[in-house]
Amino acid sequence: MSLIEPLEAVIEEFSKFPGIGKKTAYRLAIYLLRRPAKDVTRFTDSVTSLKQKVTFCKRCFNLAEGDYCMVCSGLKRDGSKICVVEDITDVMAIERTHEYDGLYHVLGGVLSPLSGVGPEDIKLYELFNRIREENVKEVILALNPDTEGDTTSMYIVRNLKETDVRISRIARGIPIGGDIEFSDDATISRALKGRITISNE
Amino acid sequence: MIVNSLRLKNFRIHKNSIFNFSEKLNFIVGGNGQGKTTILESIYLICTTKSFKSSSDSELAGFESEGYEVSATVSEKTESDVKVIYLRDEKKKRYLRDSKNITRISDIIGKFPVVLLTPADSEITHGYATERRRLIDSIISQSSELYFEILMDYSKTVKQRAALLNMIREKRLSYLFDELDAWDEKLVKEGMELMKYREKFLTGFNEYVTDAFRQVVELKETPVIRYDSIYVNGYDTPEKFSELLKKNRDKEIYRGVNLYGPHRDEFLFYLNDKLLKSYGSQGQHKTFQVALRFAQFFYLKQILNRTPVFLLDDVFGELDQNRSVKISSFLSEIGQAFITLTDFSNYQSLVSDTGNSCFNIEEGKIRA
Ligand SMILES: [Zn+2]
Repeated sequence: MSLIEPLEAVIEEFSKFPGIGKKTAYRLAIYLLRRPAKDVTRFTDSVTSLKQKVTFCKRCFNLAEGDYCMVCSGLKRDGSKICVVEDITDVMAIERTHEYDGLYHVLGGVLSPLSGVGPEDIKLYELFNRIREENVKEVILALNPDTEGDTTSMYIVRNLKETDVRISRIARGIPIGGDIEFSDDATISRALKGRITISNE
Repeated sequence: MIVNSLRLKNFRIHKNSIFNFSEKLNFIVGGNGQGKTTILESIYLICTTKSFKSSSDSELAGFESEGYEVSATVSEKTESDVKVIYLRDEKKKRYLRDSKNITRISDIIGKFPVVLLTPADSEITHGYATERRRLIDSIISQSSELYFEILMDYSKTVKQRAALLNMIREKRLSYLFDELDAWDEKLVKEGMELMKYREKFLTGFNEYVTDAFRQVVELKETPVIRYDSIYVNGYDTPEKFSELLKKNRDKEIYRGVNLYGPHRDEFLFYLNDKLLKSYGSQGQHKTFQVALRFAQFFYLKQILNRTPVFLLDDVFGELDQNRSVKISSFLSEIGQAFITLTDFSNYQSLVSDTGNSCFNIEEGKIRA
């Protein structure tokens, strides 16, 4: 079936979204078409300003509205601690617990040769630079305890051997195969409290 | 565990079949292609989420159907309803226990233990080392959730590391060598755990194999499984394993393959100190295959404190009638079993007097 071109274009865009198939994309497009014009404008405006106003923090690569994120520009944050996470959603999950007062470092991925992701494709060197340049005393590794997360943690530990920062890993309160993102707040708090020092004690 | 009832909807040739099973032996009789093995396949699916024929879900779903649904009532201390639903459109399979969605496969494996004996078992004694590793892994995985998780982790590590070795062969960048150090560490850590487990497992399991020979096949021959691995050849610590990888790094990069680790393990079967694969007769091979499955049955029963379901697919055709009848009566004393047969005439006596059941299957239906 061939559709009117503008409609087809929107369906095409929606179906690029993660988890959205052709059928759902079609339903979403028709839904938009049936909304009043002002609703649709509000929607497209919000998408435009998302890309214009939201950036990545220059220091930790968390989401930011200027050069630095809310955490990095917060006054009560303990700059001697860096919690290393895979993704922005992990920052949100840990922040929700109000248990952690240090800074973050968002890698934006984990080592995965199969997907062509190597050390230079994620923010690893940026992390090592921060540790060298900022007054960091403790690095907390909070990557998911799966194959790639584990190996990335091992890579970080190997590269920090020469430094005198203390390295710890959050305890396995988070089940294997369970992403931090989906764990409940209590589990994360417990994991943060029970972190185990793995080197340079 | 007991499978009380089973319902198959659009599962291969079965459009809508309902079974109420005996707690002892269930004979499933029918010609080739009528859908008798499919019943075993669906019970196996309930226990492991997979088909033992390594068929994809879209192959399992009946011709031109939207998907399949297999549901069973299973009792294991308490009774639960298990459902496996596959929808072609979503390309997704769901596993439900008492209407609750179960997503972690390690929450399923071993909860309803199952043992399967098929003609394909001849590959275990005749075929490549992969087959023997698969057997050992499936037994330990059903008895230890931790082993299963390490195994999954390890096989992902092997794939990732192979990809990296190939990448390094193409472009020899220094930071890739750096990354390889980390993957070495991961391979050693998980690999060491697996090998330790396997060695310890075999020590205990060998006794079960010996017992199975005595009880089931009633032979005075002495079977033994020997572990052949870097672990038993001097590399039994993480340090030594790492050293081995360092020493052979160039070779591994050149070949682009993981050359060392438990994925290269071999399990050697001996009968009276002679290597079965080289010196065994056809009969001895068959006996060994049967004994392995009975050993698995009693091992799982002991470790899990749950009685596995025994599935025997077309096995009696390969054994002489005396032996088959003997095995059947032994089975009916130890738990629930499902036995497919093409010809039932020699086994009539087993059904009539002991509370066993028989189902005649024709074109995916039960014939009264
Ligand atoms: Zn920041």
